[in-house]
Amino acid sequence: MKDEELTPHLEELKRVLEGKVDEETLLRELDVYLNSYKVSAEAAKRGIIRKYGDGETGFVTAESIIKKIGDLKGTEQNVDIIAKVIYVENREITARGAKKSIVSGILGDETGTASFTIWEDTGLDVQKGAAYAFRSAYTKLWNERIQINIGNRGRVEPSDMRIDLPERTYSMDTSEAKIGDLKEGMGNVTVTGRILSVETRNINVKGEPKTVYSGMMADDSGKVQYSAWNDFSLRQGETVCIKNAYIRSWKGIPQLNLGDRCEVSRVDDTFENIEDGTTRKTIGEIVSIGGGLDVEITGTVVDLRQGSGLIKRCPECNRSVLNEECAAHGKVVPVPDLRMKLTVDDGTGAISAIVNRDCTERLTGITLDAALGLAKARGDGEMVARSMAEVMMMKRVSITGNVMSDEYGPMMIVRRAREERVDIEAEAGKLLDAVEGAL
Amino acid sequence: MKIRETAWRLFSTEMNSSSLEKKGTEEKSPSYLVTRLGAMVNRVLVAGVLTEKENVGSEDEPMWKARIEDVSGSFFVNVGRFQPEAAAAMADLEVPSFVAVVGKVRTYTTDDQRVFVSVRPERIVTITEETRKRWVLEAAQSMWKRINDMKRALAVQDASAEDLVAKGFSPQEAEGIVLALDTYGFPDSVSYLKSIQGAMRMLLPDRNVDLGLPEDLSDYPDEMDIGDGESSADREDVIMGLLEELDTDGKGAPRDELERRAEAEGISGTELEEISNALMDKGLVYEPNLRYLKRI
Repeated sequence: MKDEELTPHLEELKRVLEGKVDEETLLRELDVYLNSYKVSAEAAKRGIIRKYGDGETGFVTAESIIKKIGDLKGTEQNVDIIAKVIYVENREITARGAKKSIVSGILGDETGTASFTIWEDTGLDVQKGAAYAFRSAYTKLWNERIQINIGNRGRVEPSDMRIDLPERTYSMDTSEAKIGDLKEGMGNVTVTGRILSVETRNINVKGEPKTVYSGMMADDSGKVQYSAWNDFSLRQGETVCIKNAYIRSWKGIPQLNLGDRCEVSRVDDTFENIEDGTTRKTIGEIVSIGGGLDVEITGTVVDLRQGSGLIKRCPECNRSVLNEECAAHGKVVPVPDLRMKLTVDDGTGAISAIVNRDCTERLTGITLDAALGLAKARGDGEMVARSMAEVMMMKRVSITGNVMSDEYGPMMIVRRAREERVDIEAEAGKLLDAVEGAL
Repeated sequence: MKIRETAWRLFSTEMNSSSLEKKGTEEKSPSYLVTRLGAMVNRVLVAGVLTEKENVGSEDEPMWKARIEDVSGSFFVNVGRFQPEAAAAMADLEVPSFVAVVGKVRTYTTDDQRVFVSVRPERIVTITEETRKRWVLEAAQSMWKRINDMKRALAVQDASAEDLVAKGFSPQEAEGIVLALDTYGFPDSVSYLKSIQGAMRMLLPDRNVDLGLPEDLSDYPDEMDIGDGESSADREDVIMGLLEELDTDGKGAPRDELERRAEAEGISGTELEEISNALMDKGLVYEPNLRYLKRI
């Protein structure tokens, strides 16, 4: 390796060893490791730091190495990162039933940025704008973005290393996205859409009152809920371009967050068809995103599950009740209702769909009155579900509603439903043309 | 998060010519039948004409066996006592009638290493002719997509699953295609195109559909056979020849050497395993120890 190629490694060693070793010695050492023994640069640096470091500045185990953020692969088990905190927040999470405080945010150095999470209380008050050494961290890849984690083996220490973030760090990997394509974990996104509504809420953040502006915005691909942590004077009906927003999901539904780094500009509205803000998706797509607002899917009913048919609800809270006993209100005189829990499958994925009385009546042609009559005549409430299954199984439906995910997978609360007919001959003709064209 | 498995619309030709099962590695993780076109199938949605049904159990504990014809072959359906709803529905079904089944694929391997694929229904219902045609259309569209995906994947030299994901395949599609190519080799698209041709003839009777494929019906993949073109007897001969050739010192043919040579003959490790098991069953070869195979 030639001298000029050694320079970056030399600089790194000087920084890590904080001037305890003179440059000449380091150069000589590097030369021995790299040119006489032909080990990798990483191994050379590791060896030299082991030899000259006092253990404190150095590494926890022989496996630990220093990396720049831009060099992280997302598979590191034990890595040291020295970087500046660009953004930090303290959060409370519930892990295995116990409340826990974690610290998360974004780290940056001259090569890039990555999000970080400190899972164990380190007793350190991590400050925005300060540099820290994240020791024995592990990294993961989530949605093609690197995450740096400090677990119980890791440590975080203040560092007085000077870290210059390049001017363009923030906008460097800004990506423009359609609202319908937004996914959990995206950062630095730019979206253009029409503000459909604005609400203000006053909340307390660490004892200080703060106003949050939230509402819905949409483009021609879909609709998303946004939250702005500063006043961008958003007005209903205007079309804006939002830069450097980030996405967090709630129950699988992506939400757009306008943080401190966000820029908002007014642009011409070129959307034609966004009044209802419905996103058409395949079930496979919505399963991989996890959720969404006003999503429309088309598929075949492949199951009608337990809890479908004629059900009883508590008159107080509308919960479904068994044996005239409400979990919250005790003995009640229940109100009858119709509901279907369908499984809809389009060949790309399967989703659970909860269908209310209105849509159930329309899809099955069985009204609540007819269902009550049927149950009475047969002395059996299950008859209703069976009749519904007969009508619904293998029916092709288009359903619209909000989709969210929990441990059982994605579920749609159906707001609008209709049977979807297919022009089989036309579709078959298209397929035949494609096959003949390819042969 | 537990995600419900997709119900694949799959013609019997593709389903029955599959023999590779990918078992779930973790507890409760699903198993998949990997087809020659790379579909990783756990659940299916099949439709067609119920042509046979028989209760092979008792009146009290019915066990139904049934056969459903699609456009070019049959699905074998087994309903046991753990599917009471499907069993009850089965009892009421007319033969013949149009039916649809949502269920899980099951494989059964015979002593001579042949793999039978069947469907264990979760739901079985009668359908209209219209719905049956819709299924045929969806199954044809789905198969055409896989034929094209396979073509696209084969354009990438020695593609790994990661390479395919980089080309825009989903991780599951990529895994299925790589497993299929490793196990079955290059798929014979003619037999699958025949299923599509059969579907098009049913759906478009006025268009006089002819894709110019060989019309010989015996070219359809035999639903019971695991070989692909070359008969298993031919392959057994190849292996017997190799055993002779590689047995240089009377100890038998070293396994690793045999595997390497078999691979060169287009016989994968899994197939070699199947063939040597079959040869052992026939009493033609034996294993002097785990690393050798020897002719008797």
